[in-house]
Amino acid sequence: MTPILVAIPLLLCLGGALCAALHAHGGVSRRASVVVWGWILAGWSAAATGVLAWIGWGPGGVLESGVIARASWSWVPAWDLCFSLRVDGLGLLMGLLVCGVGSLVMGYAGHYFSKKAGAWRFLLYMMLFQVSMLGVVLAGDLLTLFIFWELTSITSFLLIAYDTRDPKARRGALKALVVTGGGGVALFIGLLVIAWMVGGTDLDLVLSSGELVRGHDLYGVALGLVALGAFTKSAQVPFQGWLPDGMTAPTPASAYLHSATMVKAGVFLLARLHPALGHTAEWFWLLTSIGLVTMLHGGITGLRARDLKALLAASTIGQLGALTMLVGQGTATSFKALTVGLLAHGMYKSALFMVVGIVDHETGTRDLGRLGGLARAMPATLAIAILAGLSMAGLPPLFGYLAKDALVVSAAQASGVPSWATWAIVGSVVVAGAMIAAQAGILVWDTFLARPRSERAEDGVHPHDPPWGMLIGPGVPAVLGIIGAVVALPTASHLAASAGSAAFGSPVDVTLKFWKGFDATKALGVIAMVGALVVFLARRPLGRLIPRPPEVLFPGVMGAVDLAAYAVTRLQNGQLHRYLLVMFAAMAGLIVWRGLPPWPGLDRAGWEAPWPVLRVAGCVLAAGSALAVVFLKRDLFAILALGASGLGVSMLFLIQPAPDVALVMIVADVLTMVILVLALLRVPAWFRRQADRLDQVESPWAFRRDGVVAVLAGAGFAFLALFLTLDHPRESAVSPWYLQHSKTAVSASDVVAGILVDFRALDTLIEITVFALAGAGVYSLLRHASPAAGDRETIAARDTGSLLHTPLLRMLAQGILPLAIAVAATHIMYGHAQPGDGFTAGVILCLTVAFRHVVLGYERSRRSKPWLRPLRLVGAGLGLAIASATIAFLVNGSFFSHVNFGESLGIPLPRDVALTTSLLFDAAIAVAVMGGGTLVINTLSGPKGDAAVGEGGHAWKS
Amino acid sequence: MEILISATLGIVFGVGIHQMLRRNVIRSAIGLVLISNSVNLLLLHCGAYRGLVAAYTTVSGQQSDPLPQALVLTAIVIGMGGFSFVLAILYVFAVRDRTGDMARLSQLRH
Repeated sequence: MTPILVAIPLLLCLGGALCAALHAHGGVSRRASVVVWGWILAGWSAAATGVLAWIGWGPGGVLESGVIARASWSWVPAWDLCFSLRVDGLGLLMGLLVCGVGSLVMGYAGHYFSKKAGAWRFLLYMMLFQVSMLGVVLAGDLLTLFIFWELTSITSFLLIAYDTRDPKARRGALKALVVTGGGGVALFIGLLVIAWMVGGTDLDLVLSSGELVRGHDLYGVALGLVALGAFTKSAQVPFQGWLPDGMTAPTPASAYLHSATMVKAGVFLLARLHPALGHTAEWFWLLTSIGLVTMLHGGITGLRARDLKALLAASTIGQLGALTMLVGQGTATSFKALTVGLLAHGMYKSALFMVVGIVDHETGTRDLGRLGGLARAMPATLAIAILAGLSMAGLPPLFGYLAKDALVVSAAQASGVPSWATWAIVGSVVVAGAMIAAQAGILVWDTFLARPRSERAEDGVHPHDPPWGMLIGPGVPAVLGIIGAVVALPTASHLAASAGSAAFGSPVDVTLKFWKGFDATKALGVIAMVGALVVFLARRPLGRLIPRPPEVLFPGVMGAVDLAAYAVTRLQNGQLHRYLLVMFAAMAGLIVWRGLPPWPGLDRAGWEAPWPVLRVAGCVLAAGSALAVVFLKRDLFAILALGASGLGVSMLFLIQPAPDVALVMIVADVLTMVILVLALLRVPAWFRRQADRLDQVESPWAFRRDGVVAVLAGAGFAFLALFLTLDHPRESAVSPWYLQHSKTAVSASDVVAGILVDFRALDTLIEITVFALAGAGVYSLLRHASPAAGDRETIAARDTGSLLHTPLLRMLAQGILPLAIAVAATHIMYGHAQPGDGFTAGVILCLTVAFRHVVLGYERSRRSKPWLRPLRLVGAGLGLAIASATIAFLVNGSFFSHVNFGESLGIPLPRDVALTTSLLFDAAIAVAVMGGGTLVINTLSGPKGDAAVGEGGHAWKS
Repeated sequence: MEILISATLGIVFGVGIHQMLRRNVIRSAIGLVLISNSVNLLLLHCGAYRGLVAAYTTVSGQQSDPLPQALVLTAIVIGMGGFSFVLAILYVFAVRDRTGDMARLSQLRH
């Protein structure tokens, strides 16, 4: 068994997800309908099912030879972390369910959404869910498992909230996410505790260290946390509330996630970890009691349901409780019952959900009070419903009967428990079994066979059987329920035995027979059936008697969040004064609490430094212009003073000496000023007048009060700065290393550029991404949010071009872009040897664009350079950055490593220029920064909003 | 010289705080830039040692600490991006609430 084979099902599902996204493309969706697309995706899942079957039954397969198929890829070698997959009997059983049911549901979903535009989103989420769920059941490592586990929660959230306009759907989705996500956090901690106990995250290691785990002091903690994760996912009491509310998801999603697969993940997890955590009294009592309560809860609440999906949700909760109880019992018999139950439930429940979907689709309602008498109109659907319903009720000769029989036998054979507990378990199983069987009866009878209780004819709805393609989805599992029980029994037993053994930890014998002679358990089965009949006949009065289950958990959690929000907004009331006060007080408190390091002493402050005059000039310029900002009345002059202060700061940078930083500071300072002035030009006249007035109406008292705050803050800051600058020299662990290796390792004689572009390239990639995102944020805020808030063009043609109509300026504006590109290229080429780099180059290009806009006017400027589209530049820049990193990965095997093409290919180059991946990355930085900056400039100097674009004649695409 | 630089830093930072507390939105934005400039300058002065020549391998002498330079360089560009974004947010709020008064648009909720 080659390792890659194990990954193929997962890759197939991922391929299906990509394929689903293709349908978003207009060309594809015009040629292929949603129905066709659904079946294509079903093909991907079916292929995954086939490969899994090959892994199981093929030569040397999991079932054939009893081996465990493994595949592992190193992920974070430093932490000994692997991405591992592992197929044993249990994984195989669940994997077949996930892919098999997935395939049927995808085909069904295509028909379900046949008339809906944008259904590709649903299909995509479904396929992504399939990938996640398959990852959970095939994971061979605790962290791999956890990651896929969380992905199932997220995809489930997206599917429940699929109809985003429905507030109920949004609420249901949020609830599911909060409950299962909260459980996920607990599970994560629990898994980490286990990993810490056994010294690794590999599943094989964990499963073989059962003695160690059970004997550990923290066993209780690990068990509790893992159980919390499993219980929330599998909707066990008291976390069951999210499942009925999650029924707002489209029915195909409910059929797949909330019956056959995702909700089983909790039960699966417990079964998976049973060899490590099980075989203890705590395990038994925790799982059995919670499972029992959940089972009864599902059985009882299902009887009061009037909505078909709510009814199915309740019976699912009941079944999940039974499965949890079986894992808790931890005997060979119980694991036999567990695996048979997993198979049976997966088949009949998905079939029933899809039947309900068809009924809903045809009649437009799921309300039992309005349904009835559909038998004549929908015979094929009825046949499927009866097959699946009989299996759910647990009647022979269907698979559900075998599952229920095994459940009763297991309950009666609970070993090592007091007799009252055995009685309680057996009694509850019989009662719950009777109620769930009655629910199956209600579902089939009241929908199809009972006389309709209200006239539907007046609605003008004429239900009939759906197209046969839609019947395949529910039909196949329903028919498999009888084929599996009659013809393919040995195959099913083999699979169940292998799965049970993997979960139990030692061999489990699964021989499935319909008749082994009459004994006590058969008598119990008969009692349950009689009980079911009684409950079915008394369903109406019983339904009225059962109260709505109270819900405390979720409202409690949400209430706590609201309370916390209230408390926080009292503190953070949006007043800057308050925030500053709290921050400064906190800082002062920290200093008082921790104390300061020893004062270095003023005697270390010397007045000798190179270029003293320049230093003093820089300080005076920076501080003096800053002070001028306070006293200049006009905002425009204040902005100019701000720019002057920034130039003073860049002078100090230059003297540091830090020429690269100084260069960037100069251009960034100018660009900041340009942005501010453009923003000032953009604001309406009333706004400007009001702003001017505000400076005057502010009371002198407030001005002085803020003055005191500012003087205190400034003094504190100056003290801190003095402290830090006097504390020279200190030991630096990294800087000498950079200075030493910059030339040899990354051929950069400019060490700062070496750090930026090579040593810490990943940081830089993230930084340019953030910068580009800020640009995109400005664009969407000003183009979309601000017109929506009522921002309209106040001056008809707000074109600065007419103001600056001198021929020289216009000529300069026309020719400046090539010039700037040449300058930028020089910066990039010599970035590793001289001051300047991609950031400087990008900002210079932005300034050029701004200059063109101001002189030529926005319209003209955009028209003469139509290729200059910032969003494309951003994409190109980020793409180039990742491409250069990938090239390095392909050459050196390490992302963002240094590759010198010029040297290795022997290309003759001018002195100080090297053709390297760093050069590519520097160019990428320049392009991305230019894109982000241009986006800001275009947005600020362009017309306001989409409406205005049309009037201008040209709608320039960004 | 350290005293002079520290005093400059304190003044720029203090003015930044003062401007940020103005009710005029534009002044608040100016304050943000001043604070950002002063913090960048402080970070650069926090290097492990004082340099006499730039951090190039081609020159000899006591080179300046390259690490804070690299960090500050990106901080300047990111700061500019963040500033534009804040400016856009302030602009949208001002338009929505029809006021340029910080005291009146300080509430995020509708």
